[in-house]
Amino acid sequence: MVTITEQITIDAPAADVWAVVAAAERQAEWFPGMTSSSVEGNVRTIGTSAGGRLLEEILDIDHERRRFEYRITGPMHFDHHLGSIEVHDDNGASRVVYGQELEPTALTYVLAAALRDALVGLRDLVETGATSRGWDPEEGA
Amino acid sequence: MARRILFITTDQQRYDALGCNGGQVACTPVIDRLAAEGVRYERAHPQNVVCMPSRATIVTGQHVRNHGVWMNGVPMAPDAPTVAKVLLDAGWRTALFGKAHFEPLLDPFLRHPGNRLGVLGATDVDGAPHRGFEHLEFAGHGAVGVLHHGRWMREEHPEHLFDFYQALDRSLEVNAAGGGDSGAPQVHHNPVPRDLYHTDWVADRALAWLDGLDDEEDWFCWLSFPDPHHPWDPPTSELHRVPWRDLDLPEGYPEDQGERESRLDAKGAHWRRWYDGDLVSNYEAPAHWVPATLTTDQVREVNAMAHIENELIDEALGRVLARIGQRGWGEDLDVLYTTDHGEFQGDHGLLFKGPYHVDSLMRLPLLWRPAPSSENGHGRGAVVTSPVGLLDLAPTFCTIAGLDVPEWMDGVPLPRDEVEAAAQGRERVLTEWDSAHPNGTEVHLQSIYRDGLLCTRYEEGTCHDGTEGELFDLSEDPLQAVNLWDDPARRPLRDDLLTDLDESLPPRPAVRRRAESVV
Repeated sequence: MVTITEQITIDAPAADVWAVVAAAERQAEWFPGMTSSSVEGNVRTIGTSAGGRLLEEILDIDHERRRFEYRITGPMHFDHHLGSIEVHDDNGASRVVYGQELEPTALTYVLAAALRDALVGLRDLVETGATSRGWDPEEGA
Repeated sequence: MARRILFITTDQQRYDALGCNGGQVACTPVIDRLAAEGVRYERAHPQNVVCMPSRATIVTGQHVRNHGVWMNGVPMAPDAPTVAKVLLDAGWRTALFGKAHFEPLLDPFLRHPGNRLGVLGATDVDGAPHRGFEHLEFAGHGAVGVLHHGRWMREEHPEHLFDFYQALDRSLEVNAAGGGDSGAPQVHHNPVPRDLYHTDWVADRALAWLDGLDDEEDWFCWLSFPDPHHPWDPPTSELHRVPWRDLDLPEGYPEDQGERESRLDAKGAHWRRWYDGDLVSNYEAPAHWVPATLTTDQVREVNAMAHIENELIDEALGRVLARIGQRGWGEDLDVLYTTDHGEFQGDHGLLFKGPYHVDSLMRLPLLWRPAPSSENGHGRGAVVTSPVGLLDLAPTFCTIAGLDVPEWMDGVPLPRDEVEAAAQGRERVLTEWDSAHPNGTEVHLQSIYRDGLLCTRYEEGTCHDGTEGELFDLSEDPLQAVNLWDDPARRPLRDDLLTDLDESLPPRPAVRRRAESVV
């Protein structure tokens, strides 16, 4: 199993950042390369720029710890996957830690790069209101 | 007078795949004719034995350390200089058809601009060239994914979309599933009609582009066939060409198990550990396949499939050359043919590729048929035995175009004969391997070929302590069966080669570019 952890500091109160993260259906607003994100029950469906789809099970949204947990359930197969986003207070700003545990490991570097992009996207959304590059094959760049 | 360059690459093709290089199975008359009319290189090495670093070297003319693509999954820098850009800036028309792999192919979020082209069906990036190519149409090893061939298959021939072998499994690992008659990994009986197969598609798309050019334009056309890289799934209609049961085993495959394994034991620990299924050092071979299970039937069938794919490439190239001839361009056309790296294809009891610096993966086919009308046209039937590298291609293109070779290119224009090679002082060619698998395994190799000797140092990594290596005398041991690294009598020679290696390689970059995928 491989563990990936990426983090970023955002110049906004933790409560404000957490409000965005905890709204699971808003992920495509700040995760570059996602064209849609919708939630039904505890299932989140992600559309990707490559025309694919990711299915995720939302495992926990812990408002007290400001921790969001999910796992990818398809269509690719993982023996183990756990994604987590934590928002910590950092002297009035926020430190966001985005982690993934995965096995098998083929997507390790892909996800690590995507998480780095996503954290920048989250920062931009919270600090400036700018949504992610939102590249959509139907609309172009 | 206009100048034209047709550059052909295959993917993962062995030196002995071609008739002109002594191949006894596949019929490759078109390529053999190019060799007879031009220059054939007998010792051409890649600067890395997997696709992305090697292709970055081809298009930049740089050592791996200078272009920074140190393993598959590391994208070329967005602003990396390329020979295509040099030609484009000089007014040439530039195009690439087939496999580029300048950027990671495993890219679900389309982080890389090149991968967006296929999804959009575009042939440029918002009207602008990409890496110096004004027109790009991509194909890969199958029909799924984000490339143009896959898009075309989805739109025009969806009933055949899943005829191809699925190169990756559900976990996105290289698929270990066996098929064909022998159950060999990545072998598959593919019912797809031949005209839908990527080899013919690449030629068709190139022909369409060439047909649109004016008679007097200078152009550079890269025809980049994805085969004979695995999966080995040529159209079933073509299997009659090479009945696998009739094939002899390759000379490099020791049929006796004891002999096979003792040869592996004489090399670095990573050889035997991979063979035994005890090590996954890199992504390029199926993680769940154990080479020790490879059977003689499987070796034969994999070889037959590769030979068939090579024949299809030869015929597709023949179609393109014929059309070029019909346009009256042949006299002013330089043709260069090579591949990005080799393939074990049964040698040493192995398939695929990885951190193994032996001829199976490093000795490449390379041909240059200079334009008959040019001053280079005197190379007819020449054979160059001095070492050359794929980093010499980009400078060669510049020279053909009458342009100065940019200082950022590390290579030197290919010699047209041994006299020119001697004048250039060609003595050595270098190859590197660096890999960091997500499972934590790191392997680092550097090799030098000089004076008929092949010397590889294993730097300290997960499998090696930094004291191990390989030394082969290819004149006495062409199959690289006897490792002389620890032979005291060869120690001075080994030290001299390693000193030469260190003095010849550029320094490592201060910052290693990040891997953003594994392929």
